[in-house]
Amino acid sequence: MNSSIIRYILGHVLKIEGILMLSPCAVALLYGETAGFYYLGVAVLCFVLGLLMTLRRPASQVFYMKEGCAATALSWIFLSVFGCLPFWLSREIPSFTDALFETVSGFTTTGASILSDVEALSHCALFWRSFTHWIGGMGVLVFLLAIIPMSGGSHINLMRAESPGPSVGKLVPKIKSTARILYLIYLGMTVLEIIFLLAGRMPLFDAVCTSFGTAGTGGFGIKNDSMMSYSPYLQWVVTIFMILFGINFNAYYFMLFRNFKKALRIEEVRHYLLIILASTAVIFVGLVRSSLHTADSLRHAAFQVASIITTTGFSTADFDTWSQTAKTILVLLMFIGACAGSTGGGIKVSRVVVLFKTIGKELNSYIHPKSIRKVKMEGKPVEHEVVRAINVYFVTFTLLFCVSVFLISFEGRDLVTNFTAVAATINNIGPGLSLVGPTQNFGLFHIFTKYVLIFDMLAGRLELFPLLTLFHPTLWKDLFTKRAK
Amino acid sequence: MKSKKSAKSGLNIIIVGCGKVGSTLTEQLCREGHDITVIDRNYDKIQALSNLYDIMGVVGNGASYSTQMEAGIKEADLIIAVTNSDELNLLCCTMAKQVGRCAAIARVRTPDYSNEVSYLRKRLGLAMIINPELETANVAARILSMPTALEVNSFAHGQAEITKFKIPEGNVLNGMTVAALGKNIVAKSVAANILICAVERGGEVFIPSGNFQFSQGDIVSFVSSRKNAKTFFESIGFKTNQVRDTMIIGGGRAAFYLAKQLLAMGIQVKIIENDRTRCETLSVLLPQAIIINGDGTDEELLREEGIQYTEAFVPLTGIDEENILLTLHARQVSGAKVITKINRITFKDVISQLELGSVVYPRYITSEAIIAYVRAKKNSMDSNIETLYHLFDSRVEAIEFRVDEESGVTNIPLMELSLKKNLLISFINRDGRIIIPTGQDCIRVGDTVMIVTTHTGFHDILDILEK
Repeated sequence: MNSSIIRYILGHVLKIEGILMLSPCAVALLYGETAGFYYLGVAVLCFVLGLLMTLRRPASQVFYMKEGCAATALSWIFLSVFGCLPFWLSREIPSFTDALFETVSGFTTTGASILSDVEALSHCALFWRSFTHWIGGMGVLVFLLAIIPMSGGSHINLMRAESPGPSVGKLVPKIKSTARILYLIYLGMTVLEIIFLLAGRMPLFDAVCTSFGTAGTGGFGIKNDSMMSYSPYLQWVVTIFMILFGINFNAYYFMLFRNFKKALRIEEVRHYLLIILASTAVIFVGLVRSSLHTADSLRHAAFQVASIITTTGFSTADFDTWSQTAKTILVLLMFIGACAGSTGGGIKVSRVVVLFKTIGKELNSYIHPKSIRKVKMEGKPVEHEVVRAINVYFVTFTLLFCVSVFLISFEGRDLVTNFTAVAATINNIGPGLSLVGPTQNFGLFHIFTKYVLIFDMLAGRLELFPLLTLFHPTLWKDLFTKRAK
Repeated sequence: MKSKKSAKSGLNIIIVGCGKVGSTLTEQLCREGHDITVIDRNYDKIQALSNLYDIMGVVGNGASYSTQMEAGIKEADLIIAVTNSDELNLLCCTMAKQVGRCAAIARVRTPDYSNEVSYLRKRLGLAMIINPELETANVAARILSMPTALEVNSFAHGQAEITKFKIPEGNVLNGMTVAALGKNIVAKSVAANILICAVERGGEVFIPSGNFQFSQGDIVSFVSSRKNAKTFFESIGFKTNQVRDTMIIGGGRAAFYLAKQLLAMGIQVKIIENDRTRCETLSVLLPQAIIINGDGTDEELLREEGIQYTEAFVPLTGIDEENILLTLHARQVSGAKVITKINRITFKDVISQLELGSVVYPRYITSEAIIAYVRAKKNSMDSNIETLYHLFDSRVEAIEFRVDEESGVTNIPLMELSLKKNLLISFINRDGRIIIPTGQDCIRVGDTVMIVTTHTGFHDILDILEK
């Protein structure tokens, strides 16, 4: 195993984090907050440490799947641990576990908070919280690939480990160009949202933080009531952008080249939009019946559906008080998640579609035992290997989910709380129901529970296996002992 | 926007077929920084290649319109079709010419088409048609015409040749320096027209200076005209006549092409082929050759057919291991000149340890030809490289530069230029005349200059100067 390349990549990740952490310093300077010094200190620490780690170029730049997975998982752990230091050092979040929870929640674009009073935080802390969403949304390694020159083609393994979706493809032959295109689209759409929000008279700071939260499909609010107090126009803008960020970015790439037909023909996107439409309609009917205003019901229904399916986690209403049907739909949407190749979390629409088609195929084989039928996506047969990986993913996901619910059950909370707390973290959403509902927070949990949920968030963001490889004993043995001659 | 970008970063190339040649091409073109998309019907092959290299893969039939569109034929600069089937390759290229505006290269190897290559090329508007078996046969034929050499490559439209040979035990060159060679051994007139450009020793390649000392086992390559090469060989005690007869094992396409050329050169050919119908076909196609129907790996048969008396022995079976064993056997029982064809390129280090004589790698020959074309195409945009060859398995590059304008290297005696280390100006082609330069010669506008170097990535003649 090539452990020096892993060190090298980790060093670069730390350097990038150091540079990115300068932005909250700038915010602190703007608002004259002394907390900025902590960010500056940690930024320098990250950068120097990163510099030391990248001083020596590894002899071989080649790496395989296992190196890709290990580098990705370790990068995210490093990123979170260093990212939480300013919160902790500045005593804005006094407990280290809480600070780590908040940061992991930020980077994994979950948006689950342990804070009961968000508004008490300094501006730079609020900015950094939201900025972590933006960094984590597209992924820091993808960013790395876009800017750091690396030779060899095996870096697809890095992108594959970090990017969501069952099969990661490229838009153009070179991975560097692909990563750049993705980030350009990402940046462009974020700026567009900021402009739209500013047009609705949102203060600049709020607009930037909200856009970061939407773009990464994170969901950290900078107000205690999340998005409730903003005007209907702003809520609609956020709704639409949440949906847009949940779409496979390939669609935007096609649109860039004016190939709208091809963009709309992506099967996953069609299913995704259909699910949003259907769920909104059902919840809307329920809300109108329970005496809400028509326009308000539509807005609240659409906002909550968009927020949950894209795994953002903003809220404009306390959906914990809604009907059981509405709540059940939202919980189901939590698991479906956004499209592959977007910034959202969850199981991903494409996986769900393939799973359903596999069921159809299986059913068919009971009627015609000798029939041959391949699962198709976009009119093309899905390779057996991909179908198998999706099935295993689903099983592993369910297993991890059950184990997590069991582990946090020792605290003695009710099942709805436990179930939705795990669902909201493993799918990178944020709010759940009952004690972790949209008006509540995760601060009430025991330290042990928090670590279980931190693990779930990371596992959910990295799509399980890259993180789980860290538990393979061979990996550790290789990491420290085996060196190439 | 797209085309501007590609001029800077490399060409957009689509490769159809991920077989031996396809994957070698992918590897080498990828290393040179081109944007590559590969098409193959086999998902696993695509998967394996895209895991190794920074490329995009498309699964499908390369000749179909929709697959080509998916691979981005509209933005492509070049399509290279190297699937198993000649017809598919030609169809791929024809389709691509209709849809996009790219250049096309097809591999066509059936002898049925080999006589019509130029017609096909013109009619279908192809940039190049390559035939690995024919290229292999060409290389083998060149070697057999000068059996002392391990390898002969021609440059400058055949005006100059780079010849490679191995210094045997007890040769006069043993322990001699390059400077002494010029003074003592070789006649003055010849010495002025010969340039030692690279020496491989123990897996390492040197660009020798005047006080470089030869030793036994070195593989030396030098630039010269063909006539001078002969004289040079004679003066250091080598035999230089072309072989009189050749024994070829295996009657495949490469054997056919080689036999045809050798017969034309007046060399007797004996082909041993296992398959009876193939033997009959060959005997019709090559009436002058002796066709033997039998197992070429049968020792008894080989002895009966006179392996110990033959002057050259060329195993061209489809199995590398058989070729290698046959060569080793021939070395044991006879003094014949041997040429070994090796298809796969794994375990190269092991192979280079064996005494196999001249080794030809058809897939390298093919990909080299294509890469030379790609280089030229790319460089026609942003530099003045005429041709580029790789020597010693890509460890040394021989580059022909066109000198179009006055610059820091023109009209200055070479000895006064501060050149980079491990670099040699091997010849200057002035109006079709080859000059092997001395320190007093200068480069002039209008010349083409051949540089031999272990550096890579030269784009301009000015790159030869120490910065």
